[in-house]
Amino acid sequence: MRILVVEDDFLVADAIRRGLCMSGFAVDCASDAEQAAAALAAEHFDLALLDIALPGADGLTFLRRLRSAGANLPVMILTARETLATKVQALDLGADDFLVKPFEQTELAARCRALIRRSNLKSSGQLTLGKLRIDITGRQLYNDGELVDLTGREWLIVECLGLNAGRIVTKERLQQAVASWDQAITPNAVEVHVSRVRAKLGDSVVLRAVRGLGYRLDEPR
Amino acid sequence: MNGAATSTPSIRRRLLLFLLPPLTLLMLAGVFINYRTATIFVRAAYDQKLAEIARDFATQLQQADPKPLAAPAGILFSIKTPDGQNAAGNPRLPTVPVGSATLTYGDGTLDGRDLRLVTYRVPTAVITVAENDDSRPNPARFILAGNWLMDFIQLDVTLLIVWIGVHLGLKPLLTVRGQIEARSARELRPLDTASVPSEVRPLVDALNLLFELLSGAARAQSQFVADTAHQLRTPIAGLLGSLQVLMREPVAAPLQSRLASLHEGVSTLSHSANQLLALAQADRSTSLGDGFRKTDLKSAVERVVERNVDRSVECGLDLGAECSPASVEANSRLLDDLLGNLLDNSLKYTPSGGRVTVRSGYDTHHPYLEVEDDGPGIPEKERPRVLERFYRIPGSPAGGCGLGLAIVDEIARQHDARLSIDSGAEGRGTRIRVLFAARIH
Repeated sequence: MRILVVEDDFLVADAIRRGLCMSGFAVDCASDAEQAAAALAAEHFDLALLDIALPGADGLTFLRRLRSAGANLPVMILTARETLATKVQALDLGADDFLVKPFEQTELAARCRALIRRSNLKSSGQLTLGKLRIDITGRQLYNDGELVDLTGREWLIVECLGLNAGRIVTKERLQQAVASWDQAITPNAVEVHVSRVRAKLGDSVVLRAVRGLGYRLDEPR
Repeated sequence: MNGAATSTPSIRRRLLLFLLPPLTLLMLAGVFINYRTATIFVRAAYDQKLAEIARDFATQLQQADPKPLAAPAGILFSIKTPDGQNAAGNPRLPTVPVGSATLTYGDGTLDGRDLRLVTYRVPTAVITVAENDDSRPNPARFILAGNWLMDFIQLDVTLLIVWIGVHLGLKPLLTVRGQIEARSARELRPLDTASVPSEVRPLVDALNLLFELLSGAARAQSQFVADTAHQLRTPIAGLLGSLQVLMREPVAAPLQSRLASLHEGVSTLSHSANQLLALAQADRSTSLGDGFRKTDLKSAVERVVERNVDRSVECGLDLGAECSPASVEANSRLLDDLLGNLLDNSLKYTPSGGRVTVRSGYDTHHPYLEVEDDGPGIPEKERPRVLERFYRIPGSPAGGCGLGLAIVDEIARQHDARLSIDSGAEGRGTRIRVLFAARIH
């Protein structure tokens, strides 16, 4: 998976490039909007990381240009300005995520994976999470290439957690997702279904219970 | 009026001071003039009566067959011949000296008593009629009985009207005072000048100018914070990122440990820079009234817990939430900072195996946020001090900069919330609660 990093600070760009390379991404760097536009025109990228304070046209201007030209690759804004107004503006312009500097390399890698995962889901109808492949359109789950046998309710739980991978899904939300299958279901029953799903997934992914809130499905780090 | 108010200059007191004494004097002068006027009228009326009696005597003297002369009760008289011989009546009664008219009025005394005299001169006699002053009704009493009471009531009513008038006249000032009192200490919107009277307008205009200057300064500070944020965070991001990459590369063990301590130092620097910026941002946010809207506390808890799940797993802590829905007027970014800092302390200081719980809900109609851990706790005597900027409890582990709770306190203050620091369940650990003054209805 290929990522374009648009960042004028050499040290930051270099750290991002090296860090993401270690996490298994291919990374190209551009130091201003012009170079970035040229790179995007020439090659295919799965994700762009965009700094706001760039020399010449700033990151938000570049993003506006990109979206009005019809480009739909996911864009994550990296910025040192964390005001709410900037964030709202960036998301309005079509940014998919917003990360404030300085950040942890692991956090950046996890967010990149999540964005690419979501973008792949849109194009292929499939979600890849560690060794897990969730075929949303075909309603099938593959663990390390092998089809996993799931009941209807277990599938709904996997689907709901998978679509929200990396985020906490509250127990109430799972309850609603499962209840639509047939009749109402108790919170305890949700727990039972989740523990069955956990057993079937093994350690291919991390399914974590967050006390008092719900569950979070994530790929192992 | 309390003691403090009496020692400061008061417009109401000045107005009353300038209005009441002259008004009182004016009223008293009115009473006096009334008294004088009444005295003159009363005397004229009684003099008239004496004159009539004198004329009656003259008429009786001129009759062919004069009856013995008799005066009404309380009236003294003397009749003398033109050459001074006593003809009838009291011979010791003085005569009013000759005037231009045939009828002359005067005052005199007889046996030490004051008399009012009338002398009527006809060609055949000099008739003097007198009345004891004491037997005349006292005009003062007459005035006191009627007019004086009226005057007194009038005075009271006037004073009352002045009092009410001053009060009503000063009402626009009270409105302005109310407007100023109603705002929080950091609100810098200009005051509404529509209802301000022209006399107070310059004062309010000056205040508004001051507010404008202050909010300009706040905006400038906000810009400065944003610029500083960029200038500080970008190189820190580069340093931190590069170090993290280096630490993942295969390097010799001694270098690895030096990299680790370097990384710790840069992390602390990064944390301090973030905290300083957060504090600067919290300081000025509400003064510009930024982003205050109805905010769901439960989702704030969910956001902040979600952000810290990985860290809690790394620290070996059981992080959880117990939240019921609650909402309050707030700046959601500042609330996230508040909760983030409380949680950061708990995650930092609670030993592995501990339990950290974030809560939201209502406590007797007031929304609250709370973070509880079963860590070492904050000794009771340190509790008031931990809110001070840069204060760190002696002997606490490295890595903090002593700003976390100061930020929490600042944000709580701006949201009209009260911060309370207690021990957690069974007297262990720390429980910090942020209780908002707002109420649900």
